[in-house]
Amino acid sequence: MTVFHALGVAGTGVTVYRKWLDAVSDNIANMNDATTPGDPDVFRAKYVIARAVDYGQGDGGVQVGGIALGPQEGRMVYDPDNPLADEEGYVVYPDVELSSQMTQLIMAQRGYQANLSVAERARDSYQAALQLGRSA
Amino acid sequence: MNGLSAIGAVGASVAPVSATGYLPPPDAGAGTGDTPFAAAMSGLDHVSGLQSTADSLAVQAATGRLEDVHDYTLAATQAKLATELTVTVRNKAVEAFNEIMRMNG
Repeated sequence: MTVFHALGVAGTGVTVYRKWLDAVSDNIANMNDATTPGDPDVFRAKYVIARAVDYGQGDGGVQVGGIALGPQEGRMVYDPDNPLADEEGYVVYPDVELSSQMTQLIMAQRGYQANLSVAERARDSYQAALQLGRSA
Repeated sequence: MNGLSAIGAVGASVAPVSATGYLPPPDAGAGTGDTPFAAAMSGLDHVSGLQSTADSLAVQAATGRLEDVHDYTLAATQAKLATELTVTVRNKAVEAFNEIMRMNG
């Protein structure tokens, strides 16, 4: 973008990982949404798709290419005491696996921190160059 | 009425000639590069652009509409670095100018 290109590119990376964190937190918050079988409003897990801004011929950086949704069917669980159960006693829960969501949470957090450390080191490098010009 | 409006239309199609119309137009790049000092000063436009970006993001953060915290901090860092760079360039340019002026005496 400008003179401080590394800072701009790191900023786009941090934005994508922030959106990933938002998607994972949404999935984990909604993992126990119960619905009656046949109800179209089943929670579908969100997966963030990251794409490069340009593949090799320009400024670089990353952006969110889209949000993929998980399967519509969900998991059928036998729970006849649930007020939302149908006449056979089944309730639909979203198809969200807590263990894989926790893994994605760790990856999103480490990606966020990695991009921020790139921005920090780039800032320190630029400041060192400016320091050189200041003294003499 | 129709004839008068036709005369008015003809007059509108002819471009008015200003007092300096015979002079060549000013050079488009005159403000940016003819001396190194002027080029350094034109960099201030870029710095003020970065500063205004950082200020508008700060307002968004204060009103709670900022989606990404890092947007503001990175924009503020870029604005600060650009300001420091422009100040350093100005100091060097002034120093060089003073050296040359000192040669005269």
